[in-house]
Amino acid sequence: MSEQTSLTYAKVNEDVIRMLDKPTVKWLALFIPTLGIVGFGLFCFLYQVYTGLGVAGYRHPVFWGVYITDFVFWVGIAHSGTLISAILFLFRASFRISIYRIAEGMTVFAVLTAGLFPIIHLGRPWFFYWLFPYPNQRELWVNFKSPLLWDVFAVSTYLTVSSVFFFVGMIPDIAAIRDKVTEVPRKILYSILSLGWKGSNWEWLHYTRAYLYFAAFATPLVLSVHSVVSWDFAMADLPGWHTTIFAPYFVAGAIFSGLGMVISLTVPIRKIFHLEKYITLDNYDGMAKMIILTSMIVGYAYGTEFFMAWYSGSPYEWGQFYYRATGEYALFYWIMVACNVLIPIPLWFKSVRRNIKALFIISIFINIGMWFERFNIIVISLSRGFDPAAWGVYKPSWVELGITAGSFAWFFMFFLLFIKTLPSVSIAEMKEFLPVPRKEANHHG
Amino acid sequence: MSQEKKGGLKRRDFLKIIGVAGGTAAVTGACSPPVEQIIPYVIPPEGIIPGVPNWYASTCRECPAGCGIVVKNREGRAIKVEGNPKNPINAGGSCALGQAMLQGLYNPDRIRSPLIKNDTGRMQPAGWENAETALVEKLQEAMQKGSGSNIVFLSGHTPGSMGNLIDEWMTAIGGRHLSYETYAFEPLTEANRIVFGIDKIPTYNIDKTKYLLSFGADFLETWVSPTLYTRQFSEMHSYKDKSMGKFVYIDPRASLTGVNADEWVSIKPGTEAILALGIASAIVSGGMSANGAGPFGGLLSRYTPDKVSSMTDVPEETIKEIAREFSSMQPSLAIGGGVATTTTKATETLVAVNILNYVAGNIGQTIDFGNTLTLSDVSSFDDISSLVESMSNGEVDVLFVYNVNPAFTLPKSMGFEDAIDKVPFVVSFSSFMDETTEKANLVMPDNTTLESWGDFIPNESVHGLIQPVMTPIFNTKSTGDVIISVTGQLKGFENTFSQKDFYDYLRNAWKEVWTSSTGGGDFDSFWDKALEDGGIYKTTSPVPVSVSGDLSGVEFSEPEFQGDGDFYFMAYPSYRYYDGRGANKPWLQELPDALTTGVWDSWVEINTETAEKLGIKLGDYVRIESPQGAIETQAYVYPGMRPDTVAVMIGEGHTSYGRYAKDRGVNPITILPVAKDALSGGFAWFTTKVNISKTGKYTPFVQTQYTTSEEDRPMVGTVALSSLVSGELEQEHGEHEEPDFYPPVKHSSQYRWGMAIDLQKCTGCGACITACYAENNIPFVGKELVAKRRDMAWLRIERYFEKTDNKAGFDTRFLPMLCQQCGNAPCEPVCPVFATYHNPEGLNGMVYNRCVGTRYCSNNCTYKVRKFNWFSYKFPEPLNWQLNPDVTVRDKGVMEKCTFCIQRINYAKDQAKDNGRKVLDGELQTACQQTCASGAIEFGNLLDEESKVSKLSHDERGYKVLQSINTQPSITYLKKVKWDKA
Repeated sequence: MSEQTSLTYAKVNEDVIRMLDKPTVKWLALFIPTLGIVGFGLFCFLYQVYTGLGVAGYRHPVFWGVYITDFVFWVGIAHSGTLISAILFLFRASFRISIYRIAEGMTVFAVLTAGLFPIIHLGRPWFFYWLFPYPNQRELWVNFKSPLLWDVFAVSTYLTVSSVFFFVGMIPDIAAIRDKVTEVPRKILYSILSLGWKGSNWEWLHYTRAYLYFAAFATPLVLSVHSVVSWDFAMADLPGWHTTIFAPYFVAGAIFSGLGMVISLTVPIRKIFHLEKYITLDNYDGMAKMIILTSMIVGYAYGTEFFMAWYSGSPYEWGQFYYRATGEYALFYWIMVACNVLIPIPLWFKSVRRNIKALFIISIFINIGMWFERFNIIVISLSRGFDPAAWGVYKPSWVELGITAGSFAWFFMFFLLFIKTLPSVSIAEMKEFLPVPRKEANHHG
Repeated sequence: MSQEKKGGLKRRDFLKIIGVAGGTAAVTGACSPPVEQIIPYVIPPEGIIPGVPNWYASTCRECPAGCGIVVKNREGRAIKVEGNPKNPINAGGSCALGQAMLQGLYNPDRIRSPLIKNDTGRMQPAGWENAETALVEKLQEAMQKGSGSNIVFLSGHTPGSMGNLIDEWMTAIGGRHLSYETYAFEPLTEANRIVFGIDKIPTYNIDKTKYLLSFGADFLETWVSPTLYTRQFSEMHSYKDKSMGKFVYIDPRASLTGVNADEWVSIKPGTEAILALGIASAIVSGGMSANGAGPFGGLLSRYTPDKVSSMTDVPEETIKEIAREFSSMQPSLAIGGGVATTTTKATETLVAVNILNYVAGNIGQTIDFGNTLTLSDVSSFDDISSLVESMSNGEVDVLFVYNVNPAFTLPKSMGFEDAIDKVPFVVSFSSFMDETTEKANLVMPDNTTLESWGDFIPNESVHGLIQPVMTPIFNTKSTGDVIISVTGQLKGFENTFSQKDFYDYLRNAWKEVWTSSTGGGDFDSFWDKALEDGGIYKTTSPVPVSVSGDLSGVEFSEPEFQGDGDFYFMAYPSYRYYDGRGANKPWLQELPDALTTGVWDSWVEINTETAEKLGIKLGDYVRIESPQGAIETQAYVYPGMRPDTVAVMIGEGHTSYGRYAKDRGVNPITILPVAKDALSGGFAWFTTKVNISKTGKYTPFVQTQYTTSEEDRPMVGTVALSSLVSGELEQEHGEHEEPDFYPPVKHSSQYRWGMAIDLQKCTGCGACITACYAENNIPFVGKELVAKRRDMAWLRIERYFEKTDNKAGFDTRFLPMLCQQCGNAPCEPVCPVFATYHNPEGLNGMVYNRCVGTRYCSNNCTYKVRKFNWFSYKFPEPLNWQLNPDVTVRDKGVMEKCTFCIQRINYAKDQAKDNGRKVLDGELQTACQQTCASGAIEFGNLLDEESKVSKLSHDERGYKVLQSINTQPSITYLKKVKWDKA
């Protein structure tokens, strides 16, 4: 907090709104290649739709691969944002304040990215809307028993709620920007977005109530949405998928990976926009502690999976888990364990928790490890199921990797646009911890 | 800011919007698939009711066995081949070669019109008049030379009117007719002449035997009449009334036939004769012979089991055991003469086998000389060799090539290709540009079997008719018609044939058949009935044979092997390609080999220990070198191979013959020497030793199953015969219903479709898979996609090698796996759009139109039997003519799986409804069930307690695969029965 006492209301406005200045060459140097990669991803997708899903690397019996891995990966990342923004709000954790806006943005964009994949991986994506229960002349319902349907509802609910939460939370800040900028197109944009915010007491009262209710509404989604996504696997019979630990395991993993992504995003933003006074080492300390907690839960889950597979005595479970650790994909498995369980261990030490470089490196490994975790669960389990005659090894193709790269670029593209158009640090909440500006000095303190 | 008109759109804006929207709609509309018009018949042709098939009986000509077929014709197109139940050879069954006939008929590489080779060596399409004129010219020239043997008609085995026509023609114009079959079984004929005085191939009664001993005779694959013997083997080897027959197979290689044996006895190559004599000797000396040794006593006393054991590498104990069982389990039968083990002493082997049969009292019981095969009468290999010699010497002026491909099936060292180059005028009647036809000067493409008139006499009990199932697709002409037409243009020979075409000739010939038959009535009804039945079938009676003890000239010793290599080289006939003729049919290329599950290529089988010693692993390219040449192909490490022997399949390695066959795999015949079985003069296949070496090249071996073990999972159930007989199993086997807290699913009260598959009967031949491809419009995907595990087969035969303590050390088990139509299907609840649902008759239905392709159903499938359309697969014209109109052709993005032939179920139900009754048991057969020569698959209504499938589903041997997962499959498998331990 010591760094923040030198801040004033005016300084906060200035620092944050300065981020929305005209894009520099540096920003364009990031944005244009990002657009290029998105374009390449789009090309890969169109090629896939035109030619058939055969251009991906699927091999019987592995019929889900990189696309579903990406889907679960991005949905998982989204959860951390809501955790930081909503759940920590309810717990009144002060270390969330300067980072929660970026985290929320990350949530919305991650869900937008995740939402692409259920369409991309379809055999006939032009019929994707059949997954929605819309009234139709053929009187067809969707199958509510299917976990994929639950996904449709979970993800769309999550997208709606997070977007509304994100937007509503930003209204006072957008108003602050509206008041500061003068150029016509931006002035009109922010005027519309701020919905006529005047900063009156009445408005503040309703705003804080609304924010509280949205936070409460979004909180259960952190637990439920990823549980529902995990049930895509847990509800199947397949050894390696069919286990009750998936819901808490995935939720913990989601938060874990999201925190990693938050760190990966905030460290560069902090450096480039000189937000050291806002995003302090205390924030990182807090996040690192959550990382340790979720890493331990995830590590425990790995252990439990193996233990229960052994304890069950089922030759199918034994076969699957033995294969996981020693088969064709063994390297992927051990990368996952190293990145998720071993690499976060240094965070037990305060010096590491408060070291930005170390945190950044660890966060990159966390992302890698968590991507591999989803890959392992999906692909390795499918690769070796019940019937030995139907075992097969999957290798992703360039189309899948192109689309994955495209998805990362898509997320990054939204993020770059976000930091240039919307306030990435919460102006209003930052100000809550600063002394109110007075017209003259108050001698009575 | 100007005032905006409230409410309405300005006219210009409206037009702009419509323009853009309309344009977009037009563009995107143009991207949708083209609209196809269906035009109904205004006046339908006679005899065709759209939607109702016509069935025509005919005879299969894919090999010399002569099985009868009935072919389904829908709206003028032949779409499915099935076995003719009336023909006593196959009785309704059909092998993979027969099922794939349609891909010969509709092959995109068929020669579509006559071709004349011009001066530059290119084939030019021509009309029939020009082609016939060209032939007439050349013939007149050759006939003027008049040497009497300068015109040669080289055909395959053509017993019947076609053969007679050719004979008559050649006699008339001064030429000669030779019939050449790649697998002529000459040693068998000769051995029968020596021992019984009858130089014919008999019919064996395998179904009546209790103990079958095969010395390398691959009767489940290509030996003599595979469909007949598969059917009979199923009779003999299946478990019935607490007993079953025993089958022991003796061969240096465990072929597909060998792995179906109860014991595989590996033997030193070429020593089968000695082993047979040793067994006979043990029978006689053990006092177990019914006949006594007869004239062979002295001979047998020289081949005692201990001596024989050291000469053959077969343990003495085994010899004595076989002797005991062979003589006590009566009637027994010993057979031999498989192509792959035909050495230079093959006739001796078969003489020894005849002696063994004699000593055990089998003559007249299980060997029937009352019904001999016409295959016994093909030209000898000596004749063929001298033909090649005369061709080389320029003595042949005109050569006709009909239904043979000697440029592929004769060894390179024989020089056929150079010899044929010396023939000034070669005429081929082939439907395909095969290696021999490439050398032709004139191609006059025959109609394929399904477009032809003709007949075929395989043995004394069957006179099969061949009738066209549809009008010829291309501008081809029946060779019989060509012969008659050409003769009519030859000066001085115009009246040789009184008939105007081959159809007339055929009917004339049948008038004689009619007069000698006892049917009576008029010829036309006789003819129509014969056409309907597919021919006429006579019962024959066994003919008594006497055994001659005169074995002069027969010397039982080890045969010659040329070459100084370390390994005996075995070229074995393929049950998928026969002698290479099946290689241009993609269904057969994509049908996984039962033992290796390899597709679209060849491989060399090498014993496990040998491979380890040489550092060779699966997929390594290996060079096989004989004194005649070398071939390079991938290694397959196989425990069923003797350590000192390697084997390559015959059938691949074409250098021509169409896009599916060309430049694929290797042809082992190319490195074989020209060697003959000494006594019969027949071609000897197993005569050379080779060197093998790694080339260093490696590519992953393309197979549909990359595992070989059941991995401790209860996939194939086995049970020991002793526990069945003692009733032990019956007590254990109860109805186990898994507990379920859901109420039972409401099913129809009329039908509940179920299937029973008897693993004791399944031989792994894969005909069911090919039939399924034909019936259900399953696309073939090619080697690259099979390598990516994208093959579309709805039915697969899983193959497991399990370690056991039998003589071979391992046991091979086959499990046909298809959609189990689970009662508690895991695929149904997970489909988000209800594209897969439970049908009230117990089927798991698949709605292609509704599928969006999430593929969750496959992920949740316990048996992994669902396939996905990764691309929109093409059926190159005219293969698309074969498509079954009752089954949707699936587009990309859609899942598919076995439907229990729901189109057949619906058809049967409609028929039954029209007749006011329910579907009768046996009336409805799935495609796989229909074609299975063993009768391994049974299908029907489980609610009908009298139905076969109902009874089998309660059989003591019944079990469900992966029963503990509680998917409640509708398919009951019957456990395989082992003679000793399970």
